[in-house]
Amino acid sequence: MSMLTSFFTNIRWQDILDILVVSYFLFRFYVLFRGTNVFRVIVGIGFLWIFQRIAGYMGLIVTSWAMQGIIAFAAIIIIIVFRNEIRNVLQTKNIGAILWGFSHKAAKTPVQIITSVVYELAQRRIGALLVIPGKDDLEELIQSGVPWGGVLTKEMILSIFWPDNPVHDGAAILQGDRVTEVGAILPLSRRSDLPSAYGTRHRAALGLAEKSDALIILVSEETGHVVGVKGEHIEQIDSNLALEKMLRTDSGMSSDYTGLREKEKLSLALAALAIFLFVAGTWFSFSRGQETLTTMEVPIEYMNRDPNMELIGSSLNSINLDLSGAGTLIKSIRPEQVKVRIDLSKAVVGLNEYTLTSENISLPPGIVLRSVDPSVVDVTLDVPIVKELPLQVDWTGKLPPGLILADVDLNPERIKVMGGRKILEQLSTIYTEKVALDTLKSSGSITVKIALTPASLRFAEDSKDRLTINYTIRNKLPLQ
Amino acid sequence: MKSKPIILIGLFALPVMLMFQVAIAQENASSVVSINLQALSLEKATMCEGIKDYAPVNQSVAFSLDIGKIYCFTAFDIVTSKTMIYHNWYRNDRLITSKRLTLKTPKWSTFSSIQLREADKGPWRVEIQDKNKDTIKVLRFSVTD
Repeated sequence: MSMLTSFFTNIRWQDILDILVVSYFLFRFYVLFRGTNVFRVIVGIGFLWIFQRIAGYMGLIVTSWAMQGIIAFAAIIIIIVFRNEIRNVLQTKNIGAILWGFSHKAAKTPVQIITSVVYELAQRRIGALLVIPGKDDLEELIQSGVPWGGVLTKEMILSIFWPDNPVHDGAAILQGDRVTEVGAILPLSRRSDLPSAYGTRHRAALGLAEKSDALIILVSEETGHVVGVKGEHIEQIDSNLALEKMLRTDSGMSSDYTGLREKEKLSLALAALAIFLFVAGTWFSFSRGQETLTTMEVPIEYMNRDPNMELIGSSLNSINLDLSGAGTLIKSIRPEQVKVRIDLSKAVVGLNEYTLTSENISLPPGIVLRSVDPSVVDVTLDVPIVKELPLQVDWTGKLPPGLILADVDLNPERIKVMGGRKILEQLSTIYTEKVALDTLKSSGSITVKIALTPASLRFAEDSKDRLTINYTIRNKLPLQ
Repeated sequence: MKSKPIILIGLFALPVMLMFQVAIAQENASSVVSINLQALSLEKATMCEGIKDYAPVNQSVAFSLDIGKIYCFTAFDIVTSKTMIYHNWYRNDRLITSKRLTLKTPKWSTFSSIQLREADKGPWRVEIQDKNKDTIKVLRFSVTD
């Protein structure tokens, strides 16, 4: 029980926001792509991912690798294969509709006109094929259609399918209250289980229905039957009322419209809940499961230093942090995500001791700080001053035998350096970098760099970082 | 006869003035002595590998450890009274040793030395100070391989 309490008390507001944001994005994705092939494929990939995790858990190495490979390429595959559907969703909607709109059919289908004309066509035994598109793009499924764009009226439909009309054999595509295309050739179904009474018109209706979410209304020329086709479902419609209901249901405005809207709302709410639970479950499995420990060495950052003071030194340049969290989160930590900061706004000249707490340490979400080693940092601050000091050459090595470095003349002899008052008070000489004697054979001059130690020292504005040494070499005299 | 008193005054004043002049001269002379008592004039200061016939041999600013011993030689050409000086040996700004040396009138040369060890490599300096610890001269050199 205490574990459960601690589990919930450790949840931060960022975690809740994190889950809500991801859930909302996934929900919007569902709203935009539901019913399309993209959504179905993504759901398939989701199952593939679960399968891959199970395979990995069970130790099926090759299966797990294969699944990983497929999933890795899935995003690219989806974009290439379903580019038209994705474009259709994104192009036909404004940004508001993408982010928070709930799309219904843009224009109301004139159900009564369609019902009336369909049964008139049936009565006259005039064959007809009416396509009422859903959300899927039919552009690549339909061929040879003649663009029309006329307002949908009973007379127009009758004239389109009138036997003498050149386009009467094709399908008419209805978008809202418009006939957008006529004489369209639909893909034929290859199903072998269809009754022999079904002709080409039936196969065309089924062919399109199998590959899209369109509703196709078919009038048989031979029997005068009206058939509705949606998905893989074929239904003979015996009454105009039944057809009207089908059309209203498909367009989301049936006589039971309110009930349907409620049903849709319920469906969306359930989807939202499922997505939320999925994201929350994934988040908790990532952030709370499989506790892993790690130690990171993190450099210390000093902030808010008084500009009149200078950081002369600190007892530590970096500290070790013992961190814990889910294995996945621990593995994904990047060095720049972990920061140790010390606020120097209240620091004084001299030695300042800081005890590091969790307030000094920022960690990525889901990572818990276990301990800090060492937890105390000594920081020395000083007021910078300028001091002039004599220069001295730091000779090293050995002159060739029989020679002696008799004298040196330095230019300049003194140098101005800037640094902390306490440090400069203790310094009496500035040395050069090490200068090798081994290569010197006769008197001459060389230019060498000046070494500022400790590193906090700087050259004053009018000082150079080099000096010239004029040296005199003589022969050594015997001592005895 | 009016000139007699003037001559008498002149005869009296002359020895008095002479006495004053002698007194002033004596006072000046005693002040010179006093200055000379505190004076110390450094004629030469150098680092060297050895001392021969009271003179430095192989004066240098870089000494190899092979030599084994190095010297700080100082010669004063004016020493008005017996006094002392200090040779303070520093390595990398850290005082290693301080040698107290006696100076005698009228001129005096003296030296201090250290034995070189492996750990002595690096930059050195010897500060030459008078008895009041005022620095007279700084000699800078290196001990090398």
